[in-house]
Amino acid sequence: MKLPWNKERADLDREVAYHIDSLADTYQAEGLSRAEALRKARREFGGIDLVKDQCRDESRWRLATQFMQDLQFGWRMMRKSPAISVAAVASLALGIGATTAIFTFAEAVLWRKLPVPAPEQILELYSESIAPPDRLIRGSSGSNFRDGGLRVADYFSQAAVAAMTERAAGKVEIAAHIYGQPVSVSYAGNVAVSKVRGVSPNFFPLLRIHPAAGRQLGSGLEVLVTHGFWERRLQRSESAPGQTLRINNLPYTIAGILPRDFAGTSPGDEAELYTTIEQSPEFLAPDSWYRRRKDDPFAWWMQVIGRRAEGVSNQEAQTVLNAAFAASWAGTPKSAEDTPRIRLADASTGIGGLRRQMGDPAWILLGLVTLVLLVACANIANLLLSRAAEREKEVALRISLGCGSGRLLRQFLTESFLLAALGGALSAAVALGIGQLMRAVLPVGLNADTLLVDASARTLAATAGISLLTLLLFGLYPAWRASRIDASPALKQGIANSNRHRWLPAKILVLAQVALGVLLVTAGILYTGNLNEIVARDSGFDRTQSLLFDLRPGELGYSGDRLETYYRNVEERLSAIPGVLSMGLSRIRPMRGGGFHDGVSLPGGSKSVNSGFHFATAGFLPALGVQIVAGRALTAEEVRAGRKVVVVSELLVQSLGIRAPLGAKIEDSGKNVWEIAGVARNASYSRLTNPMPVVYRPLPKDIPSVTVVLRTGVPPLSVLPAARHALREIDPGIPLVDVFSMEQQISRTLQRERMFAWLCGSFGVLALVLCAVGLYGLMAHSTARRTPEIGIRIALGAPSRAVLRQIASEGMALACGGIILGAPIAVYAAHIAQKQRMLPEGAIPYWTLFAAIGVLLAAAFAAVAGPAMRAASIDPMRALREG
Amino acid sequence: MPEKEKRSDLLQGTLDLLILKTLRPGPLHGYGIAQRILNSSRNVLDVQQGSLYPALHRLERKGAVSSEWKESENGRMAKFYALTTSGKKQLSTELDEWKRYTAAISWVLEG
Repeated sequence: MKLPWNKERADLDREVAYHIDSLADTYQAEGLSRAEALRKARREFGGIDLVKDQCRDESRWRLATQFMQDLQFGWRMMRKSPAISVAAVASLALGIGATTAIFTFAEAVLWRKLPVPAPEQILELYSESIAPPDRLIRGSSGSNFRDGGLRVADYFSQAAVAAMTERAAGKVEIAAHIYGQPVSVSYAGNVAVSKVRGVSPNFFPLLRIHPAAGRQLGSGLEVLVTHGFWERRLQRSESAPGQTLRINNLPYTIAGILPRDFAGTSPGDEAELYTTIEQSPEFLAPDSWYRRRKDDPFAWWMQVIGRRAEGVSNQEAQTVLNAAFAASWAGTPKSAEDTPRIRLADASTGIGGLRRQMGDPAWILLGLVTLVLLVACANIANLLLSRAAEREKEVALRISLGCGSGRLLRQFLTESFLLAALGGALSAAVALGIGQLMRAVLPVGLNADTLLVDASARTLAATAGISLLTLLLFGLYPAWRASRIDASPALKQGIANSNRHRWLPAKILVLAQVALGVLLVTAGILYTGNLNEIVARDSGFDRTQSLLFDLRPGELGYSGDRLETYYRNVEERLSAIPGVLSMGLSRIRPMRGGGFHDGVSLPGGSKSVNSGFHFATAGFLPALGVQIVAGRALTAEEVRAGRKVVVVSELLVQSLGIRAPLGAKIEDSGKNVWEIAGVARNASYSRLTNPMPVVYRPLPKDIPSVTVVLRTGVPPLSVLPAARHALREIDPGIPLVDVFSMEQQISRTLQRERMFAWLCGSFGVLALVLCAVGLYGLMAHSTARRTPEIGIRIALGAPSRAVLRQIASEGMALACGGIILGAPIAVYAAHIAQKQRMLPEGAIPYWTLFAAIGVLLAAAFAAVAGPAMRAASIDPMRALREG
Repeated sequence: MPEKEKRSDLLQGTLDLLILKTLRPGPLHGYGIAQRILNSSRNVLDVQQGSLYPALHRLERKGAVSSEWKESENGRMAKFYALTTSGKKQLSTELDEWKRYTAAISWVLEG
């Protein structure tokens, strides 16, 4: 393809050639030789190049041609110093890439609106109270958290939902849903694991989401699938609606396919299948807790969303919902203050706890990565400043030849643009790479596709936007400064301009860089240290040599005696495997990141302690590796007979203030009374970060799925083949689900901390490198410019050690200045992080700050050493001759 | 380079007028225009032929003339310029102005 301005240039050449040829023709006709005629014609025509130049100035494409010229010029300048250019482009690419990756994540978590009409009308309902209402039973779908002195929970009874639906009609539309556990799905012979969410029939109509194919959910055994599920699991089959999808071996009819842009009710939502609540696998499972409890006004288990009608304020909505809720609520609060009230939350960006869980980390990561970008930009700005200084003479010459400062400004900006464009293009690759790495460390239970960068227009737009921003950040000032030189002194003074004032902006930039570096390196050390500290924390049990997996016989219709026999067979066969020291069954997987929590009190006592519950067989405690410190473990007979005996952790004994725990009685919120048979050492229940009292009670007989815990005398995964073999012999239809060693299981619960530590650590390393590069660049450049001066000093007898010391101390002074500026900022930031509970409470570990300072000083020393040594070894004769 | 300086140049404006006038009878290439203008006024306008081209290109950019590559009388391809409608309008207003201007000058000089 021929560019229009190139064609114009060729045309101009032809036009001028025609003129000269024609003119020469007439002279030749007058009797001159061809060569003489041509010479005369050229003389007559005048300065050919000048004319062409003037014509080009008249061109419509003048700006474009100049831009191309500037680009070519910039490219030549970059090629002249490849090492510096590569460093500059690389630091930009890393800075912009990291920013793009984190920005995409933060955008998804914090700001992305639900893809529904009028998302600002969507609300999420919570109840808030000072203490949990008495006799309340909560389902496993739902979550609660503390907000100051209030307990906030997202579950409601069916009665409350019905009452709110009726009373708020016309003002707020109400729909309910429940979070689902993983299910196995099979379609056309392919089996996969997925997640189902049970929703009320008006859930999607409320959101105003219409299936892209098929229809809304009816009352039968029907399922709506997401577009992503349809693509991955249904092979994009056009005829999928109306076909059968087996979920936990139940035949569901595919009602429809949800639209492509609907990826769930919150970013990171893993649910791919939607059924009605009554037809959800949770409800249809044999012996379903939900089915038994659904009409119980004390069983709170539904999550609720709402849509405000047009013109209804939040206040109004809350008033009407609260009245309905209070009327439905038949509880017996201890005082008026205990009465739960409705709390409304804006759900325009999605429902659920993702923002609670990831919101603060997202903000902090965004802040840190912006600082990294600033540090990178400072490097580029310094590079451009030094390059402009080198070109002072050339620029002065151009100005004195009449080049306007606007034109110069444009040229310098074009060079910055070239850098930004190259860096930006590379940064897209960097962003995708970081996205891949984040995928590896993203907490389980989050759908990475909707949270992380991918090769999409959104990513490109983000990269382009950030590149443009950096261009403005680093390019404008150097360009403005460079194009505003006073021509005559610059020309007169020549190279040996040792104006100290000139280095001021560069020095300020390096100071700022190091100051930010202190903050970033400290954050990196702090968070990786924090993770290491958590990992090293005592879990209270032996976490090596232990294997976990789930069995779900309930999905295959096992119940009653058959279920009991199955579990007994499993216990017998697995215990007999060589290498297995002990084995236990538990309803709740230890260290899952969640579990069953309940308030425990002394019978008749008023003080209730929130505890984790393990429903387990006699072998569970030894298999987990928790020591009994007093009394005894549960016996197999007690478990089989369902006796009301428990083992409790030391922390529970302490919290309830029980003097003589053995034989003492405790009571759960369901008023069941348990006798304490033994006291176990404190052990983590769901997470290492969250110590809490634990109650170990006998496993009920009718549990449809269990976690098997094996303690082995050999590497845990090595007994897996024998375990698989034994279980296949009992029933080949029941697979082992989620097989992990205890170490793997624990690391899964630390993924949020790991992701955070990993990213902060990377930012710290990045900042360190960028600071070193910046300091090196400044020192290398300033010593190079002062070569003649240093040469004179050496010629006059200054020992090279003195020169070395001077340059090195100049550089280190800069680094120390930056550190002195940065240290208080880092301390202040740590305080804020603590206040936001992004750091564990307690004294700020100052050693991290000192470690960061030490690392920075070492890096600064390495950066300064090279230029200082080069300066000390300057040959005075050469320096003076060349200067 | 700043455009203002060139515009204020008296010769430049006159050159534009001469070019437009030369093109009134019909399309002509740059060489032809130069011969007509410069040959007929050689003693008055001491200009090199090349200086015609920046003026031509400016007029083209402003839309007063349009151009087209055509075969010329000597059989080679040449870029022919032709007056556009707006060019014709410009010519007539500039001619009027020129006449008023020269009349005023001669009135002062002769009066």
